[in-house]
Order: sequence, then C-alpha cells, then structure tokens
Amino acid sequence: MPSETLALLEPGLKEVSASSGTVFLEPGDFIDQVYFPQSGMISLLVVTSDGDMIETSTVGREGAVGLHRGFGARRSFTRATVQIPGRFSIIRAHTFHEVSLADTSIREMIARYTEVLWAEAQQIAACNAIHSSASRLCRWLLQSADRAHSDELPLTQEFLAQMLGVRRTTVTLLAQELQKRSTIRYSRGKIVLLDRKALEECTCECYHVLRYEKLPLKIGVTI
Amino acid sequence: MFYFYLRDGEDLADVDGTELPDIDAAARHAATVARELMFKSDGMLQRDWSRWTMSVRDSAGQELLSFALVDFMEARSGDRPVN
Repeated sequence: MPSETLALLEPGLKEVSASSGTVFLEPGDFIDQVYFPQSGMISLLVVTSDGDMIETSTVGREGAVGLHRGFGARRSFTRATVQIPGRFSIIRAHTFHEVSLADTSIREMIARYTEVLWAEAQQIAACNAIHSSASRLCRWLLQSADRAHSDELPLTQEFLAQMLGVRRTTVTLLAQELQKRSTIRYSRGKIVLLDRKALEECTCECYHVLRYEKLPLKIGVTI
Repeated sequence: MFYFYLRDGEDLADVDGTELPDIDAAARHAATVARELMFKSDGMLQRDWSRWTMSVRDSAGQELLSFALVDFMEARSGDRPVN
C-alpha cells in the first residue's frame, strides 16, 4: 500500500490475533470492520439454508475483507472465517469509508483488487463444479501453503471438508491415500506438505491459473 | 458411530468414524462419499475405481454393508447401496 494511503488509515488501524475458525462475518451482516490479514488467512464461504457450505474465495496478505465499505454501506454475502490463524489489521468500516471518500487512490485500489477477486471467484466456481475432489484438495493444500508461506498447515480435516464442500469421510480417505504415497503427513489438527511436486501433479489447472492471476500482487492492498 | 473403509488390496479407513443416527443414514453417507470421490475422477489418485470397494463397519468392527464403488458411478442422489 502506498505510504500516503497507509498514513491516512494508520490512526484507525489496530492489530488483533484470531484463531482458526473465528467467524468475522456471517452472511447478511453489515460490514462493520475491514480486515487486512497480516499473517493469517480468511476464507469466504457460501452457506446454504441446510447448513452446507463451500469456500468461494481466500484472502491473505495480498488482500482484505470488507474493502467495499469504501464505496458505502455493504452487507457481507458470505461467511468470513479465519482459515489460518494469525494477526489481522482491522479498521472500523465507518472510518475506512470516510477516508476513502477523501482519497481517490483508495477507491482505485479497491477497484483493482475487485478485479482480481472476481477472477479468482469465477475460477473457483468453475473448479468446484467441474473438478474432482482429489484435485481440488491438492489445489487447496498448495494454495494455502503458498499463502501461509509454510508447508505446515494448522488445519483439521473437518475444516478442509467445509472448504471443499464434501463429507469429512471423503477428505479422510483422500488424505490417507496421499499420506500412503508420502505426499502429505497429517496428525490431529495439522497437515504437512511433504511432496509439492506430487501435489502439483495431482491438482487441476486452476492452481496454476490462480497463481498467475495473483502474481501481479502490486494491487496495493498489502499493508 | 460408523466407520467407512475403502479397499483395494489395502484399506483406507475413516479412522475417526462418523456419528450417524442409524444404518440407513450410514448407507446414504457411504453413497454420498462414493459419489464425491468418483466425481470427474478416473480413479483414486490414478488407481482406477473398478478395483475399489467400500464397506461400512460398526464400533465393534463388524461389517454392516459393502459395495463396489463402480456400482455407484451413475447413481442418482437418494439411492443407497443394497447389501
């Protein structure tokens, strides 16, 4: 983020820690804070009336949740939940809105970020509909490791099942096969990537497409 | 508590088990898992589905039902495997 923009937001920013599974926003909530992940990651999930859910987007250090408050009052369409625990810089949405009214660079930043987020959401929608659960699992593990800058992911299989929109049994069986091949190693609440190359062979093309899309990280949202 | 096993020579097991109300629910769960595994997939991570069977066991390890995965390849939702 350009230092002039950051200077405008700085007075309102504070940093918090959040653990995995913390829900920042439910569908329909007014967005009262804007969240900039520093070390953690947020998943955006669509939740159905039956309680089924699936991840449609992930937000790490390259982005933020609630940015559209810069354009005025907005509700959250998805559930925003902490996927990887860590630290998040937050600012009151009202304050963010006021700052963005006075500053065109913030509004331009939001527009650029929207473009990337939209592309990602479209790709993930296609992936969820078209690709196998095995390749989606491999994609998801790789993406999370990339964003967390670590091959050790503090995640439960239950959580993974929610992200992928499948039964936990399905995740367990797939994970077992991956573990048998020494591609991953998992224990309670933790998954370790052992063989990235094998995961890249298992994943669908969406992993590479999304990586390329996110490469121009000079969107300017990162604090 | 029900336990779901995949077999192709060796076992893959849902080691933690899944809490379900009765055997009917377990059968539907097994069918759903079978479809989730097979959807748009040629096999379990390159090993083709015709080799795999799924079995459902209770806490005592007793097998309650089993079926070949491929029996479920084109099944509609709501179908359940018949033992």
